Amino acid sequence: MTAAGPVIPNFGGASSCVLRNGLFCLGWVRQHWSDTLAPALVQHLELTVIAVGLGFAIALAGGLAAHRYRRAEQPFSVVSALLYTIPSLALFQLLVPFTGISLTTIEIALVAYTLVILFPTIVVALRSAPPEVLEAARGMGLTPRQILVRIELPLAVPAIVGGLRIAVVSTISTGTIAAFLMPEGLGHPIIFALSEPHPFKTEIYAAGALAIGLALVCDATLVVARALLAPWSRRGA
Amino acid sequence: MIRKHTRRAARAAFAVSLGVAILLGVLAASAVAASPTVKVGSKNFPEEYVLGELYSQALKAKGFDVTYKQSIGSTEIIQVALTSGQINFYPEYTGVIVQDVFKNTLSPKTAAATYALAKKEEAAKGFTLLAPTPFFDTDAIAVSNATAKKYGLHTIVDLAKVPNLTLGAMPEFQTRNTGLVGLENEYGLHNIHFVALGSISSYQALDSGKVLAADVFSTDPPLAAPSKYTVLTDPKNLFGFENVAPIVATSLVKELGPSFVDTVNAVSATLTQPAMLAMNKAVEVDQQSPASVAAAFLKANKLG
Amino acid sequence: MSLADEFRPGTFVQALHFIAGNVGFLAGKTLEQLELSGASIAIALALALPLGVVLGHLHRGSAFAIGASIVGRALPSLVLIGVFLTVLGIGFLNNMVALAVLAIGPILTNAYVAINGVDRDLVEAARAMGMSDRQVLARIELPLGAPLLLTGVRIAAVTVVATATIAAVDGGGGLGDVIVNQASYRLQGVLGASLCVMALSAAVWLALLALQALATPRGLRAATLLELSDYGKERL
Repeated sequence: MTAAGPVIPNFGGASSCVLRNGLFCLGWVRQHWSDTLAPALVQHLELTVIAVGLGFAIALAGGLAAHRYRRAEQPFSVVSALLYTIPSLALFQLLVPFTGISLTTIEIALVAYTLVILFPTIVVALRSAPPEVLEAARGMGLTPRQILVRIELPLAVPAIVGGLRIAVVSTISTGTIAAFLMPEGLGHPIIFALSEPHPFKTEIYAAGALAIGLALVCDATLVVARALLAPWSRRGA
Repeated sequence: MIRKHTRRAARAAFAVSLGVAILLGVLAASAVAASPTVKVGSKNFPEEYVLGELYSQALKAKGFDVTYKQSIGSTEIIQVALTSGQINFYPEYTGVIVQDVFKNTLSPKTAAATYALAKKEEAAKGFTLLAPTPFFDTDAIAVSNATAKKYGLHTIVDLAKVPNLTLGAMPEFQTRNTGLVGLENEYGLHNIHFVALGSISSYQALDSGKVLAADVFSTDPPLAAPSKYTVLTDPKNLFGFENVAPIVATSLVKELGPSFVDTVNAVSATLTQPAMLAMNKAVEVDQQSPASVAAAFLKANKLG
Repeated sequence: MSLADEFRPGTFVQALHFIAGNVGFLAGKTLEQLELSGASIAIALALALPLGVVLGHLHRGSAFAIGASIVGRALPSLVLIGVFLTVLGIGFLNNMVALAVLAIGPILTNAYVAINGVDRDLVEAARAMGMSDRQVLARIELPLGAPLLLTGVRIAAVTVVATATIAAVDGGGGLGDVIVNQASYRLQGVLGASLCVMALSAAVWLALLALQALATPRGLRAATLLELSDYGKERL
C-alpha cells in the first residue's frame, strides 16, 4: 500500500457484451467457467447423486418389504401424495428447526421427494411379472427368494429405470431451489443474478442451460443403462 | 453347536472392537484437527462476499486454518451463527452493531464514537472488534432523477412532500432503527407505504416504477456518477456511520495472537472508499467473481 | 451442526402464533398466490386442453403430446422464472408466463392420453349408431376420459400453486415473499408461511380431487378413488 492509498489493480473489466447485458456473452462463460459455473455444476451433481442414491436404496428396501407384506403400501401412498404437494422451499424451511441450515436439511427433503417417486415405482414394478410365469416358476420348485432374484427383479428393471429417470430429473430440478437456503448448486448463480440491479442474463441462461443439460444427460445415461441391463425391453420412453 | 456359538461370539467381539477402534480413530483425528480454525462468514450481499473473500484469503496466505461460509444471511441470521459458534469471524458494519444488534435508538455523532461504542458492547458479549476500515457503506434513500426533479427532493425531510410515497427495501428494513422505524420517529415521515422487495434489487424496483423511493447502499455501483439516481442527504445521520470492522470471538483472538490481529488489520487498512467502489463495480457490473476480485486486490497489495 | 440458539422444534409453536397473529396479512399473500396461479392455469388450460383433446380424438401427435411432459419435467422452475424475468421484466406477467409453461405439460399429456385411450370399440359402436364426430367427443370420449384428463389438470394446478411460492424472487408476491425473507419475518414467520403454503397446496389438491369425483360419471367413480392408491402410476 502506497502513501496515496492501496493499489487498485485492473480486475479485468468487462466485455461490451457484459456491460450492455447482451443476450449471451460467451466470453464471460469461458472466463467464469471454473470459478462460478463448474463448481455449481459439481455441487448440483453431488446433491443429486446423494439424494437419488439414498432414495433408491431406501425405496428398494421398502419396496422389497412391501412386496412381501402387502399392508405396508397403503398408508404410504396417502402420505406421499400429500408430501408431493408441499413446495420444496417450504419443505426445506420446515426442516430447518431440526437440522439447521445445512446440506443435511437439503438432502432430507430431496430424498423424501425421490422416495415418493421411487417407492410406488418399485412396488408396481416388482408386481409386473406375468402370473403364468410365476406359476411356472413355482411349479418348477423355485423358492420365493429364487423367484424374486431370477424373475421378478430382472423383469422389474425397465420400470425401475423408468422411475429412476423421473426421480433424477425431478431432483435436478428441485435441487435448484436449494440455493434459497444455501449458496449451493446451480440455483445459486441464478438467484445471485436475479438479485442484481440488472439481472445478468448470461449467468441465468448459462446456469439454466447447465441444469437442463445435466437433466438430459442423466436421462440419456439411464436409457443406455436400461438397454444394457434389460436388453429385452425395446419399448420407447 | 458349541463351535457355532463360539464362532458367533468371536465375530461379534471382532465387530465391536473394530467399531470401537474406528470410533477412537475418528475422535483422535478430529481432536488433532481441532487447532483453532478461523470460521469466516459473510452476509448475503455482494460487498460482504468480497469482504469475506478478502479476509479468508489473506489469512490463508499467512498460514492460518480457515473455513469460509459465504452468504449466511442477513444481520439477524449471521448473528445467530456467530453466537452459536458456527462461525467465529465476520465483517460487520459499526452502525449496524450499535443500532440493530444492540438496539440503541440513535447512533453516536461520529464514526469514531460509533466504533468505540460497538467495540465496548461486543467485548461485553465475548467478541472482539478489530480495526475499522476507512470506507463506510451506509444505507441511503435514493429516488430516480425524474422523481427528484418532480417533487424537488434533496434531503430525506423532503419526502414528506410526496403523495402516495412508496418506499422499497428488504423486509428487515421495516423493523430497524436504521430503517422505517427511524424514518418515522426521527424524520416524522408517516406517509410511507412500505413495499418489501425480497430478492429484487432496489434499482430494479425504481426503474420499473414499482416504488418511488428505495433503500440503497452508498457504495453501490449504480450510484457512481453519472448516476440515474439521486441520493437524498441524511442530515440527522439516521443511517449512522457504517465503517466495517471484523467481529471475532475473543477466545480465537487470544489463541491465535498478534500475528492474526495484524494480518486482519492490514487488510482492513487497505479498504478505502475508492478501493471498495472499484471492487464492487468489478463484481456487480463487470460480473467478476468475488473470489477472483479479492485475490487480485490482495496480490496487488502484497497481502495474498 | 444446527444453529442452536434460534432453531428448535419449539419454533413450530411460535410459527402457529405467527399465523394466528397475522391472519389478514397471510390471507392477502395467499390470495396473491392464488391470483397468479389462477391466471397461469387459465392460460395453460386455454392452450393445452383443447389441443390435447383434439389430438387425442384424432389419435395424432402422440410423440408431441407425451413429449411435452418429458420436456416440461426437465425444465427447473427457477430457470423458467429467471429466463422469463430477463425477457419480460419483473412483476406479474413474467411469472404468469413461466408458470403457464410449467402447467402445459401435464394438461396436454393427460388430455391426449385420456381421449386417445377411450375404448375404440365404444367409439366404433357410437359411430355405428349414427353419432357425429362432435357427439362422439362430447358424449363418449370426454366423459370417459374425464378422470385422467382432470388428473392432469389437478397435477398442473398443484405444481403451479407450489411453484408460485418461489415467484416471490421475481416480484410475483404471494406467501413466498415471507418464506424467502427470514430476516424480516424471523424463523417463526418463515415456518408459519411454509405451513400455510403446504395447507394451500393440499387444499387445492383435495378441492380438485373432489371436483373430479363429481365430474366423473357414476360408473367410473370407484376407479377414481382407486387412483389415490395408485399415485405413483399416474405420475409415470
